[in-house]
Amino acid sequence: MAAPTNVHAGDGIDPGVFKYLLVAPAVVILLALGIFPLLYAVVVSFQKISLSSQVTDFQGLLNYIRILHDQRFWGAVLHTTIITVVALPIQLGLGLLLAFHFLDDRPLKRIFVALLIIPTVISPLVAGSMWRLMLDDRYGPINQMVGWVMGERMSILWTIQVGLAYPAIVICDVWQWTPFMFIILLAALSNVDQQQLDAAAIDGAGRWQSFRNVILPAIWPVMAIALLIRALDLVRLFDVVWQLTRGGPGSATETISIYAYIRGFQEFDTSYVGAIVVVLIIVLSVLLVTALKRMEIAR
Amino acid sequence: MRAKMMLSMLGAAALMHAGGLAASAEENAATKAVEAAKAYSGVTLNTAEEAGLLAMLGININGPEWEKLTGIKVHVNEIPFEELFTKQMLEHKAASGAYDVMLVGPSWVADFARAGALEPLDAYIDKYGVKAEFDDIAPAFKDWMTYDGKTYGLVVDGDVHLLYYRKDIFEDPTNMAEFKAKYGYDLGPPQTWKAFGEVCQFITDKMAPKTYGAGLINTGYMHFFFSERLRTYGGKFFDADTMKATVNGPEAVQALTDMVDQLKCQPPGVQTWGFGESLSALNSGEIAMTITWPPVARWAQGINADEQALSWVPESQVIDKIGYALPPGGHPELASGFIVSVSSDSKNKDAAYLYIQWLHSKQESLKNVMRPLGLRDPFRISHYESPEFQNLWPGAKAYLATLKTGGEQGYADLAILETYKYWDSMARAVTSAIGGKDPKTALDELATEWDSITAQVGLDEQKAAYAAWAAKPSAYRQ
Repeated sequence: MAAPTNVHAGDGIDPGVFKYLLVAPAVVILLALGIFPLLYAVVVSFQKISLSSQVTDFQGLLNYIRILHDQRFWGAVLHTTIITVVALPIQLGLGLLLAFHFLDDRPLKRIFVALLIIPTVISPLVAGSMWRLMLDDRYGPINQMVGWVMGERMSILWTIQVGLAYPAIVICDVWQWTPFMFIILLAALSNVDQQQLDAAAIDGAGRWQSFRNVILPAIWPVMAIALLIRALDLVRLFDVVWQLTRGGPGSATETISIYAYIRGFQEFDTSYVGAIVVVLIIVLSVLLVTALKRMEIAR
Repeated sequence: MRAKMMLSMLGAAALMHAGGLAASAEENAATKAVEAAKAYSGVTLNTAEEAGLLAMLGININGPEWEKLTGIKVHVNEIPFEELFTKQMLEHKAASGAYDVMLVGPSWVADFARAGALEPLDAYIDKYGVKAEFDDIAPAFKDWMTYDGKTYGLVVDGDVHLLYYRKDIFEDPTNMAEFKAKYGYDLGPPQTWKAFGEVCQFITDKMAPKTYGAGLINTGYMHFFFSERLRTYGGKFFDADTMKATVNGPEAVQALTDMVDQLKCQPPGVQTWGFGESLSALNSGEIAMTITWPPVARWAQGINADEQALSWVPESQVIDKIGYALPPGGHPELASGFIVSVSSDSKNKDAAYLYIQWLHSKQESLKNVMRPLGLRDPFRISHYESPEFQNLWPGAKAYLATLKTGGEQGYADLAILETYKYWDSMARAVTSAIGGKDPKTALDELATEWDSITAQVGLDEQKAAYAAWAAKPSAYRQ
């Protein structure tokens, strides 16, 4: 009887080819899921596909030229920027304060931390609906509490008046996502080298100097990633605003995502939304790469 | 009160039954449809319906009854109002044949017809219809059914905005005397928007916070409310020669400015009110006037209050206290309404046509417009003159007379190509002004947006579509 031989899957195939065969399924799936829709969006953006158009011919750069003259789109860009620029520092500041507060051992620390994280696990759509009820002019507890303070019934139209709609959106987003910042920063702060802090203290460094020269450099890579994640989330902001204001009053709080949704899925201006998506991908990619380089975390 | 209402409803039901028997003795569109449809027994029809009460009419009443009569099943597909146009158009683009029967707003007919989504019905009407029943349709609603000389649908819902007012407040001698002394004319349903503001302020000054002068809808469907005001003030949508938008003209600016100013005499927070809040406030006695759709009359009267599907309607505290009038200016918006059409992608076109003929028929439509469930409103002369309907509650006769006049005098919704884009834009402009933006600025932006939409749709095509629409007497009234 002949001795049994080990048979390998790659037997008879050139090892140089075999390694590519092994990764091929993953690459094909990734390309199909990631690259194909992107390429398809690029192709569609040069066509004329809409709900009512009878022809879908290529029309060159027309959709891109439309973007340049589309005041509503640039309004949406501005609204998204305002929300991002206001909400992100608040979330970072509050998250950092909370993280410092819970860095030391405190009574019932674990319970409080768990409770603080709850908003983050709620669906943004649900959070938006909940805040809409909270801010309701007639039945919302917020207006009632303001009324108690002011001594008369208050009718504050949080979701109708432009000047109040932005604070409402920011409050809701800060409520939901500050815990995310908090938990990430708490983890980062826990890993700051205590010996360096002690050495700084011995050298006479005050709290601010310790924070700036020891703590911040230590937590910066983590903080930068958290900021990037939240900034990208805010640029894509949809759910909370949709539930609170539907982008209104008028288009005053319309974000880029809401505008693209309305154009794409209510008006089915498919090619135009394709062009918007391509422009956004290019702009965001440039910003992201620049940010990563500046933050020195892409090495 | 409830016993009296029950008796009147029992009487109405008996009359309806007797009417049904009498009708069956002669040829009518309903019986003709039923007899012809029996040949298609076993077929299932897919219908598109607006989600909610409108769909429940098909699910709970019309569908089962049609199946019992003909053996044809009806499967109702519920679609939210905002998605009705796009969903049905997309299904047509995909040639999915998802719907045999389509629910079409009059302002969408041009788009659907041009896209070939609707089956022309003239041949079916010749084959199965009873032409005499077409003479019974009020002219403004009959207009909805045709485009470019062809019939594309049969009307089933004749919407007209009505002014609802509290008769007990308006007919109170003290109120009447005080109002006349202050303003120099009689207190009554306001004939102009200026008078509306004055009546509203008078009642608010005297009775708030228990009762405010008015509570209008300010979120949702704002294009209907503003396009009515715009035309009442003498404004027009476009310059017919150039197709430049004229929605920022002086009349439009005045209309929107007044609309915003008149919020002051309405309850705090009225800026957030939609259809539901307005209905709730009327039923609870919180407001003395509102402008809304016809079913509110039935609900404010507490008809079918025990119906489970209407459990969300607040119990009425104003039974027999509500009067009906045309909104200020006398030309109510024929706001939306519906026709039903046969999809060109349907595989059961004859069966689908026969179903919509049955729904549209004199006999069946009368039953539907009398039901609080389903949101169907009168559109036939025979509906307005129906003794059964006129006896449904003490004020029903006056209600029907007002609806009839409203149908005759009302403004048709703008119906051009891709109207939904213009509507969305107008609604945003109005809500932004309600939210605090300067009305002139809001309307200037609206005009710019409209011009941009027109350029995208195609200037010449849109100009032709607008000319066809503007030629209708209901487009701009004298």
